[in-house]
Amino acid sequence: MSWPQFVTVTLNGLTLAALYFVVAIGFTLIFGVLRVVNLAHGSFYLLGGYVGWTVADRTGSWVLGAVAALVAAALGGLLLELGLLRRIHGQDLREALVTIGVSIVAADLMLAQWGGFTYDFSPPDAITGGVRLPLLGIGYPKYRLFVLAFALALGLALWLLLARTRLGIVVRAAIDDRDMVAAVGIDVQRLFALMFAVGAGLAGLAGVVGGSVLSISSGEDARYLLASLIVVIVGGMGSLPGTAVAALLVALVEQYSLALFPTYAAIVSFLLMVVVLVVRPQGLFGRPA
Amino acid sequence: MSVRRALTIVVLLLSVSFPFWGSPYFVGRIFTPALFLGVIALSLSLLAGFGGMVSLAQMTIAGLAGYGYGYLTVTLGQPWWLGILGGLLVAALAAALFGLIAVRSSGIYFLMITLALGMVVYALANQNRSVFGGHTGILGIRAPELFGQSLAERTVFYYLCLGVGLASYAYVRYLARTPFGLALQALRDEPRRLAALGYHVALHRVAAFTLAGFLAGIGGLLAVWYNGAISPTTIDLTRLINVMVIAVIGGLAYAEGAFLGALVFVLVTNFASSFTQRFNTVIGLVFLSTVLLSPEGLSGLLDRLARAVRRRIRPGAALPQRFPTE
Repeated sequence: MSWPQFVTVTLNGLTLAALYFVVAIGFTLIFGVLRVVNLAHGSFYLLGGYVGWTVADRTGSWVLGAVAALVAAALGGLLLELGLLRRIHGQDLREALVTIGVSIVAADLMLAQWGGFTYDFSPPDAITGGVRLPLLGIGYPKYRLFVLAFALALGLALWLLLARTRLGIVVRAAIDDRDMVAAVGIDVQRLFALMFAVGAGLAGLAGVVGGSVLSISSGEDARYLLASLIVVIVGGMGSLPGTAVAALLVALVEQYSLALFPTYAAIVSFLLMVVVLVVRPQGLFGRPA
Repeated sequence: MSVRRALTIVVLLLSVSFPFWGSPYFVGRIFTPALFLGVIALSLSLLAGFGGMVSLAQMTIAGLAGYGYGYLTVTLGQPWWLGILGGLLVAALAAALFGLIAVRSSGIYFLMITLALGMVVYALANQNRSVFGGHTGILGIRAPELFGQSLAERTVFYYLCLGVGLASYAYVRYLARTPFGLALQALRDEPRRLAALGYHVALHRVAAFTLAGFLAGIGGLLAVWYNGAISPTTIDLTRLINVMVIAVIGGLAYAEGAFLGALVFVLVTNFASSFTQRFNTVIGLVFLSTVLLSPEGLSGLLDRLARAVRRRIRPGAALPQRFPTE
């Protein structure tokens, strides 16, 4: 691999990692606090992408589209939690099955609404076009660098929220022991609803941010669901630092193997997951169940 | 004669005589697919019902058997019997490997890991051309010919699927009473106690997963003969989930539920599609209402109904025996 190619592949890996992080962090939050494996997570990504595209198309503002995506997916998540999941909390298998059912219906309805077309976003001029990177000596799309910065900012904001605020303390306590949190008088049902909205909303936002890297079309839900699954399996279910590290690891491994041996890249992701599961079944940062 | 036995005989007679009075469309397009999908779903019922292992990778394993058969017979030009052996071997080996990877987890973790494994195989099949044939897959796969008669001929194929379906159903029922089956059910309920009694927990689980993979492989061979081709679409996320949908609608913990669910599934996809394009929404809603309203599926519903009727007629009648649940 030549130097410019190596730099490009590494940067692609980093931006993909940023995207995986934004998608998977919502999955992790929902799993960590609610113990729900949300297999409809990919659907929220796709919903965000479609709604965001439609709003951006009508208003001409990419930022408005991103906000709309966040809100639409968050509302969708709230609806799923309050309408269907709340009644069966604690039965984790049944909850996972409900999210599967929702993902089937959602995929079909979105196909009916938006068809099988591919939608391209046009982000603001400030973050489109290329930029020549100093020191590295290669050109790189500005938008991908924006995705990287966005993920870093999001990660930092989440960390501050979790480490420094009262809500963050409650969330971390709930991840550790939600029965105890309920016992000390905190309204966990409200916390659950909030976390579901935040998790789904982040997936929706990722739909616009990620959809702008390539495009958005039906089938993307499956792709990002898989990415979220592998990232949380590798990183440890419910662990936030684990999600960040695993997103980086999974995305870099994926990009390097795609560059080196394209027809077997899937095997490498598979091996990564297998090695982690054999050495640490609970994931890199997970605690033993 | 018990009601159950009478019902069994009626179902047997109806299904064996079906090609003589049923419409060719129903024989070929409804019941035949329902039977082989039922076999694949049965492999999930076996895992979930006995072993408490809810796997989403059963369609992947079935598909790998199809890929194995197609690769050997079409790409390498080998005879069909070698294709069958190879396909089943691939399915069993893949299942053993998946089992080894996933058995240390349980419950929803197991579900997530098997789903991820299944989707990775899909990605591999899509990317790899030399063996999997990339996006197009393997075309022109033919069912075996015996005595100059293709097994894919409608009536012959129906009987083949019926025979396989009945045999695998009987086998799963039989397995429940063997020491191995009993150990599995005990493992599902009390893994720690079994371990204390000296059972090798992980080994039993891997064995069960391999066995179920073999069953899924048989269903996968029937499916690939029926379709005449295999491509990554056969094992994409939707198809993986469909197996779960079938097993859950029929009743995840009932062996007969796999076939009942498959029949409902094929009927809904065929007939809903004639009046609405949104038949997947219909399937999804049926699935959702099953999970929310009757988690034991149609079989559970029928079972409860039968019990209620019996209590009306004969108060205090013995509880019927049934396939174990969690």
